[in-house]
Amino acid sequence: MSSLLVALIALPFAVAIVTYIVPVGVSRILTVVSGALTFALSLALVPTAAAHAQVTEGSTLRVDALSVVFLVATAFLYGATAVFAAGYLHLDPGPTGTRYGRRFYALLNLFCWSMVAAPLVNGLALLWVAIEITTVVSVLLVAIDDTEASTEAAWKYVLLASLGLGIALFGTIIMYYAGTTVFGSAYDLSYVKLLAGAHRFPPDVVRLAYVLAVLGYGTKMGLVPVHTWLPDAHSEAPTPVSALLSGSLLAISFYAILRFFQIGVRTLGPTFPRDTLLVFGVASLLLAALYLLSQRDLKRLLAYSSVEHMGILAIGMSFGAPIAIVGVLLHVLAHAAAKGTAFFGAGSVIRKFATKDLSKIRGGIGALPWSGPMLVAAVLALSAMPPFGIFRSEFLIVAGGLSDPHDAVAAILVVLVTVAFFGLSWFTSQTMLTPDEPAAADGATGARPLVKGEVSVWIVVSMVLGLGVLLILGVHVPSQLSQLLDRAAGELRSPR
Amino acid sequence: MNHVPSTYDGVADVAAVLVLLTEFAMLRAPLLRSQVRLYAFQSLVVTVLAVVVAATHHIDALYVLALLSFALKVVLVPGLVLRLLRDADVDLAGSSVLGVASMILIAIGVSAFGFFAVGSLHVHSASLPTTALAIAAAVVLVAFVLIILRSDVVSQAIGFFSLENGVSVASLVVAAGLPLVVEVAFLFDLLVAVVVFGVIMRVHHGRANTLSTEELDRLKG
Amino acid sequence: MGPSVIAPQGVQALQVLTILLGAPLVSGVISHVEGRLQGRRGPRILQPYYDLAKLFRKETVVTEESSWVFLVGPIVAFGCYLIVPLLIPVLTTYGLPLGYMGDILGGAFILALAGFVVALSGTESGGPYAQMGGSRAMTFGALIEPTLLFVIFAVALITSTDLPYALAATVRSSASEMVRPGHVLAAIAFFLLVLVDTGRIPVETHSGTLEFGMIDEARTLEHSGPPLALLKWGAAMKQLILYTILINVFLAPWGLAASGSPGAVALAIPALLAKAMVLGMVFAAIDNLFSKLRLFKITEFIASAFLLAVLAVLVFYAGGG
Repeated sequence: MSSLLVALIALPFAVAIVTYIVPVGVSRILTVVSGALTFALSLALVPTAAAHAQVTEGSTLRVDALSVVFLVATAFLYGATAVFAAGYLHLDPGPTGTRYGRRFYALLNLFCWSMVAAPLVNGLALLWVAIEITTVVSVLLVAIDDTEASTEAAWKYVLLASLGLGIALFGTIIMYYAGTTVFGSAYDLSYVKLLAGAHRFPPDVVRLAYVLAVLGYGTKMGLVPVHTWLPDAHSEAPTPVSALLSGSLLAISFYAILRFFQIGVRTLGPTFPRDTLLVFGVASLLLAALYLLSQRDLKRLLAYSSVEHMGILAIGMSFGAPIAIVGVLLHVLAHAAAKGTAFFGAGSVIRKFATKDLSKIRGGIGALPWSGPMLVAAVLALSAMPPFGIFRSEFLIVAGGLSDPHDAVAAILVVLVTVAFFGLSWFTSQTMLTPDEPAAADGATGARPLVKGEVSVWIVVSMVLGLGVLLILGVHVPSQLSQLLDRAAGELRSPR
Repeated sequence: MNHVPSTYDGVADVAAVLVLLTEFAMLRAPLLRSQVRLYAFQSLVVTVLAVVVAATHHIDALYVLALLSFALKVVLVPGLVLRLLRDADVDLAGSSVLGVASMILIAIGVSAFGFFAVGSLHVHSASLPTTALAIAAAVVLVAFVLIILRSDVVSQAIGFFSLENGVSVASLVVAAGLPLVVEVAFLFDLLVAVVVFGVIMRVHHGRANTLSTEELDRLKG
Repeated sequence: MGPSVIAPQGVQALQVLTILLGAPLVSGVISHVEGRLQGRRGPRILQPYYDLAKLFRKETVVTEESSWVFLVGPIVAFGCYLIVPLLIPVLTTYGLPLGYMGDILGGAFILALAGFVVALSGTESGGPYAQMGGSRAMTFGALIEPTLLFVIFAVALITSTDLPYALAATVRSSASEMVRPGHVLAAIAFFLLVLVDTGRIPVETHSGTLEFGMIDEARTLEHSGPPLALLKWGAAMKQLILYTILINVFLAPWGLAASGSPGAVALAIPALLAKAMVLGMVFAAIDNLFSKLRLFKITEFIASAFLLAVLAVLVFYAGGG
């Protein structure tokens, strides 16, 4: 079992190095294989993690049920994005294209490696290191297209994300200090130790550390008000990277917050940690819902939808009822699949129509017979439409909220999600469902008439994968997965 | 209120105050070169502080850390940024929204907040006086002010690096015993972050032929 | 055979006399050293005495618009400068009878009163430069006030009183007191304050009259004869008073008489003057190292001094530093 952990950590890293050397065609296939293997390995961990408490390898690697949930979500998206990228990337023939391709694939694999490593490492310090690596690599990926807009987005991203991680580092150090009061100096920040001693930590210090961690990692998660880099970075990055950023990286940052949450509830009781998340969650959901109504850029729209879903995650955690926490974890999985699929579809649309501007895209379903309807389905899934997974997870969250004294918040959540639905569905109907204007007889519009048909079969395959997972999660969650979710929720519950 | 700190504590506190004062000086520095040099000086003070803690508390791991941080933060990073400045041929820092005196007043208010927020925690540390922790918090907050109010990439990057200096001082106060591996990992990460900053700065300069961030406001909404 | 101990009132009178007679000497030393640093021979050290004597012999010219305030102002200011030495530790480590009349805050008020009266009488004359100098002096004086207050707070935090004698005693008590960051910061803030108040670089050029940058110098532009002599003497006394506070309270409170014995007191006088001259040489060196700030940049300078004073107080609060 523990060798699985080693394999998981070693594989994407090795692939990253290899893809830098071999030709792009090989890298393409290699990345797909690596993604599929990583996903398979992570699934193999599910039964063990659902049954026992944890799996460890040395003192550096450790998984428990909570880590495996996030691991599975990330690994799935790794594989799906690899498939998508194979069909999406259009490289110039010649040296510039080769250089771009090499850099792209190496960085992509490195990025996925760091995101897979984050749930695998043992301890708050190594967690910080892993997330810092994700930031560093993803910044380079955002800037890889070398346009004015992408440079601006990359600068804002690197500045804000690094600031956030600086605060998170401060929070980690303060948490370390809290531990020294119980363990003496010179101990490692491993989870087991911290959780064991948490009830004896000085509450004020833990409070400060928790708030700093929420602020710091919340910057990377996209919580309002420190989310301002998110729409820019996610819309200007190459689409496969956007999918990973929205679907996985935000979730990994949430995972970091959850680790601090675990310690926080043991020291401070459930109220303070939950209320903090509630404030940020409602702010994020509110702002995202409002911004969604006025978007004109396709990928920016999806980026704000990510902010919305992160807000839902935070609100769900603040409810505290076990059923809500299960909902939150299921939401992590479902959102990864749904957001990934949505971005894949967006990439398909962008390739076909050669623009991101929503006002210029019409008649999507006609032009893209497979990915068009699937994009519509993905967007509907994001708006919590049954029978997809997000419906189930949001249902669980709202159910948990209604049984809580905070039931007003559950009502607010439903209202805001509906507002977001309007924003998303307006886009869908405008771009996908309205029929394309027939080109003028003499071609006076000057626009090239669109060739109907898919851009690439890879893209279609990736979207099918995503929607498949969504359907499974929505219709019937496999029992092992369900067990895993329950156990993970148990780990997050407050002991008081 | 009137307990007198020992001489060691007093000197260490003065060093920490020096770090904070350097941060304030960065608010004022009109030339980008001076900002970089101030950052190098600040890192030097932090390194000296680390050596002092290592010597008085016999924590050998800190010597290694001090050496690494000297090489990285006093020599390498300022060198890289100065080279970027030379290539970009830019001298003046971007003008900020407020005048220097107003910025100093805001920064004073902010650091007072940091002082009181951390001071109320009653942190007891064996390695450095707790005033140093409050000062470190103030450094972090003033670095924020610097980043928000400045309008060119180099000033913002230097602001971020000096924030890391503040966190280093904090870690000297409360986490002097942190395992060496972890500290080295932190430093290595910082190095990589610096590289990325440098890459983006160069790309920005190469594209827009300026180091100012005033044009970086196209993406809105 | 003199008395074995000088009466406290006698010591008090000696304090005033020391400041009164020693001030022009200190001024002279500063100008001389400044000249030397610039490569000139510099004016003779006793020159200020000769200048004062000459001015006392000259006649007073008064503009038509001015009233009695114009003539009374210098006298009132001079009187204030005579009172302040009673309140501060000039020669002794222990408080003298009239010394409890006012604490540091009281001393600051009286100095401010003097400055106000001088500015008022200058403005009264109707001359444009005098008015400009007066208003500038008042403005910068007002900006300096918060810094001064915070320095006083810092002093009060160390000693729980703001009697300057108490702070001097505390600073003398151990090395750890000297290196307390709060104390260091307060001392530097006060140093900068003295820079501003005595009108030295980088705030104002002390030598020569630069109309664009004059602050303190401009106020006295319209006076002549004995009132001008009183003003110049008063300015020198203010300088020495501020130096005394800086030295005897913050920087080097040694060499003060611990008892009333004539020997100790006799030693204290040259000790004080010597320390003041050393400090003056430091200021002269600063004069030659830096250039004058543009007028609107002086606010930055004052803000920095304010910063240091506030930090001193905060550091005290945050950890007993």
